[in-house]
Amino acid sequence: MNSLFGIETEYGVTVEGADATGLVAASREVVQSYSGRSAGPWNYRAEDPRNDVRGFHVDKLSQDPTDAQFDKPGDKVASPTEDRCDRVLLNGARLYNDHGHPEYSTPECSSLRALVAHDKAGERIILECANAYAAKTGKATQIFKNNTDFHGASYGTHESYLMQRGVAWDDVIYNLAPFLATRIIYAGAGKVGIEERGAPSCSYQLSQRADFFSVLQSVDTLHNRPLVNTRDEAHGDARRFRRLHVIAGDANLSEYATALRVGATNLVVALIESGWETPVTLRDAVRSIKQISRDQTYRWLVEGSDGNHISAVDVQRAYWRAACKLELPGSEWLLDEWQATLDALAEDPWQLGDRLDWVAKKLLLDEFAEAEGLDWEQDALTLQSLDLAYHNVDPAEGLYYGLVESGAMLTLVTEEEIEAARCAPPSDTRAALRGLLVRRFADTIKSASWGGLVVEEAGERINLVLPEAAADYPALCQQIETAASAHDVAAILRKA
Amino acid sequence: MNFFQADETMRRPLPTTPMEKPGGDDSGGPSAPKVKRPDTRQLLDRMKRVDPEQAKRYRQRSGQ
Repeated sequence: MNSLFGIETEYGVTVEGADATGLVAASREVVQSYSGRSAGPWNYRAEDPRNDVRGFHVDKLSQDPTDAQFDKPGDKVASPTEDRCDRVLLNGARLYNDHGHPEYSTPECSSLRALVAHDKAGERIILECANAYAAKTGKATQIFKNNTDFHGASYGTHESYLMQRGVAWDDVIYNLAPFLATRIIYAGAGKVGIEERGAPSCSYQLSQRADFFSVLQSVDTLHNRPLVNTRDEAHGDARRFRRLHVIAGDANLSEYATALRVGATNLVVALIESGWETPVTLRDAVRSIKQISRDQTYRWLVEGSDGNHISAVDVQRAYWRAACKLELPGSEWLLDEWQATLDALAEDPWQLGDRLDWVAKKLLLDEFAEAEGLDWEQDALTLQSLDLAYHNVDPAEGLYYGLVESGAMLTLVTEEEIEAARCAPPSDTRAALRGLLVRRFADTIKSASWGGLVVEEAGERINLVLPEAAADYPALCQQIETAASAHDVAAILRKA
Repeated sequence: MNFFQADETMRRPLPTTPMEKPGGDDSGGPSAPKVKRPDTRQLLDRMKRVDPEQAKRYRQRSGQ
């Protein structure tokens, strides 16, 4: 199997004096405050978000009508390049403004350890931008790693997994849907309240995103959101690979939850590629994710396709058992922790308060509510404000970081690894080349994409195509370090 | 493939102290689980400083 994955996070942002209408410009200015070495703009010609993996192309993507009210007629519209102000960073990551959200896409990673470090590095880079912007303008600026504004607007934390193109899409959907609907029992970030019209009230639920899904699969992501996104952008050799684009995830602050969420999903990708067929299917995966998220009994029973009820823990155990049989080298930690987590969720979820976001947040809010005499119904606004504060990425303000400081949260990577990930790419993926090329040629790079960069040298534009999986990246980096010119680099890359 | 080097620093056993489970009938709302946790008094002070109305003002653009 090809193990390659990444996370893209749209951050929530507040800027003193900016309302929802002004957030697009404010977010752009926050991103533009990045002062590290970087290159851009992004080459959007290589991408097509309207291309559906099911074999068709849509004319346009659905827009959220509620959000459209914030666009004032006559507002000066920046060009997409100006609006997004994409930068590719020294660590191989991408930083840009996505319609009012500073967004950070980690570089491609092949180990969970690298991914967790780069995800945390992303928090720090976005915070660094916000602090620079605040210092420059005098406007208080805050950054939140969450997925909801509690008023019905959601923004995503997406995962990408490299997958073999040869697997039939119907098999991907069939096998993936029960897994995605149930993984929120450990991957949910927790949320105070509910944001779906007509749904029964719910004071606390497991997932930030569950309220926002309408259909099982679709190419749309802004409105009528699907559990599985069918956008067909391989960001690599499309004849051999597809990028599985998972938009059903929550933004985890917990390093453990991030590792478990992405690691377990990557194992499920391996299962699907192996031809395995899930023994458990759900009657309605979209309804199930909402039921699980809102279930106040924590038994998480959902209806299977056969009409019988099964617990989300048992659905996950079916995937875990199958993943064990793959016997993939290096997967021991993940399989052990996945099993231990499922056992604990079945026995007593509150044991997991040191590692899962939804549990940690619930325990913290309960503790505060009891100390301050708050009521979950009457004081919902206060509790939502504390929920929001949990996701503040400023270590001096955020409640998650308060838990880390007090020793109440399990962390997986070291401070040194996170700091290194701010400026160094993973050494074993094509991101290593991207980061190195930014370091060497930032001033002459004319455009960038996941697959390569265009450098201008002596009046000529030189296309530097990054070789994909199986290349010897450390050896290539050594050669590129000593190459005299971009022409020489292109020759080295062509031979790789 | 190497998911994670199984280094000892990444493994922390689950708490073994008995915990009182929250009440779990189908109709009730969330109850307060009684779980022994590290001292979070300083964190409770941080929580008191959170503007209780910040969620009311927090409006974002719809994203992906």
